[in-house]
Amino acid sequence: MKDNIIIKIKDLHKYFDDLEVLKGISLDVHEGEVISIIGGSGSGKSTLLRCINFLEKKNKGDIIVNGKKIKRSASDINKLRKNIGMVFQRFNLFPHKTVLKNVMVGPVVIKKEDKKIAKDKAYELLKNVGLEDKADVYPAMLSGGQQQRVAIARALAMEPKILLFDEPTSALDPELVGEVLQVIDDLAKSGMTMLIVTHEMGFAKEVSDRIVFLHEGIIEESGSPTEIFENPQSKRLQSFISSIW
Amino acid sequence: MDLFISIFESFKNFFTVVIKFAPKFDQAILFTLELSIFSILLGTVIGLIVTSLKLTKLKWLQKIAYAYISIVRGTPLLLQLYFIFFGLPLIGLEFNSFVSATIGLAFHSGAYISEIFRGSIVSIHYGQEEAARALGMSKIQAFVHIILPQAFKRSVPALGNQFIIAVKDSSLASVITITEITLTARQFSAATYNPFPILFTAGIYYYLIITILSKLLKGLERRLRVDER
Repeated sequence: MKDNIIIKIKDLHKYFDDLEVLKGISLDVHEGEVISIIGGSGSGKSTLLRCINFLEKKNKGDIIVNGKKIKRSASDINKLRKNIGMVFQRFNLFPHKTVLKNVMVGPVVIKKEDKKIAKDKAYELLKNVGLEDKADVYPAMLSGGQQQRVAIARALAMEPKILLFDEPTSALDPELVGEVLQVIDDLAKSGMTMLIVTHEMGFAKEVSDRIVFLHEGIIEESGSPTEIFENPQSKRLQSFISSIW
Repeated sequence: MDLFISIFESFKNFFTVVIKFAPKFDQAILFTLELSIFSILLGTVIGLIVTSLKLTKLKWLQKIAYAYISIVRGTPLLLQLYFIFFGLPLIGLEFNSFVSATIGLAFHSGAYISEIFRGSIVSIHYGQEEAARALGMSKIQAFVHIILPQAFKRSVPALGNQFIIAVKDSSLASVITITEITLTARQFSAATYNPFPILFTAGIYYYLIITILSKLLKGLERRLRVDER
C-alpha cells in the first residue's frame, strides 16, 4: 500500500547568497506516509519544506510529483500547489475574511467551485476540526490553537494529496498545542500523506512512520521512530536527542 | 454704549450680507462638489494604475510611474492647472474648462493616492501572499482577493486625508474660470465691494462639506473594522 511514491525529491540544493542551506537532499515520500523532519535551528528543515512547494526557489535538483518533474513555469507551480497543502507556523489566516470564507476561498477562487458546494464542504471541514460554531467570526477573535485548526481546514479544502506542516505548534501557548496535534493525529489515521517539521519530539515519535534528521543541510540520519529515538547511530543525532530530552 | 451700538450695527450688516448671499452659492456648491467627486474618483483610478505600474517588474514602466510622481510633487498645482488649461489646446487637445480642471486635479491627487496605495500594499505581511500562493492562487488572484482588500482598508485614513485636500484644492480651479465656491465669492465681493462676509460664507460652505466628508470617512473606517472586533 505504501509503495506508491507521491513526491520524489532528488539532490536538492538551496543557497541564500553564498550560504548553502540545503546541500543535496534526496527523499521519497510514499502515499499515506507521515514523515517528521527534525533538527536544530538552521539545519534547513523549513527551507526544505518551502522548496517542495516552490515558496523558495531551489538552485539545483528536482521535485518529481507522481512521476512528473515540476518545471519552474508559473502554471506548473500553481498546479503543484493545488495538490500540496501547507500549514504555517504563524497560521497566516486571511484577517479580512470570516473563518468560513477563509476555508472557502481556495476552492472558490482557484477551482471556480460553486459557492454553495464550497460552503457545505467548508462547514464539514470545520466540523472535523471542531470549529463549526466559529464559522462566522473573524480570525482575530480566535485563540492560536483555533486559528491553526482553521488553517488546517483551509489547506484541506483544496483536497491536497499531501500536507506540509511548518512547525505548526511553535507559535502556540503550551496549553493550546494539544488540540492542534490532535487534529494532525486524526489526519494521520485517515491516511493523509504528511511532511511535518516539528520540535514536538513526543508527538513526532508517536505519529510518524519515518523520521528524518537534518543537520547543516544534509539528511544525517533517517529511519523509523524507534530507530531514531531508541538507537540513534550518528553522533550528531545522539547529541541532538540528548539535548532535547 | 455707543461702542456697543456700533459693534451691533456692524454685526447686523455683516450677517445681512451673509444671509443675502448664502443662498446664491447653490450653483457654486454644486460645481465644487462635482469637481471634488470627479477628481477624487478619477484620481483614485489613476492612483491604482500608477501603483500597479510601480509594482510591476518592468523597469521602464516603473520609471514612467516615478517620473509622473516626481513631476506632480515637484511643481505647484496652480501651475499644473494652467499647464493643462492653456497647454493641452496647443497640442490639439481641447476640453471645456470643467473637464480640464477635473483632469488637472485628478492628475495631481493621483500621484499622492498612488503613494498611499503603495505604502499600504507593502505593509501587508508577506505571510498573506505566501498563504494565498501556497493554496495555488496565481499572483493576480492573490493580489485581488487577499492583498488588495486588506491594503485598501489600511489606506482609508490616509486616503480620507487626501480627499479632504482634494476638496480644498478644487478652489484653485477658480483660476481657470470655473464658478465654484471660491470664484463665485470673488465675483460677489467685486460686485458688492464687501468681501469679508462673502468670503466668510464661502469658508462656512467649505467647512460644512469637509465636515460631512470626514463623518462619512469615519463611518467607512468603522464599517471596515468589523474583522478586528
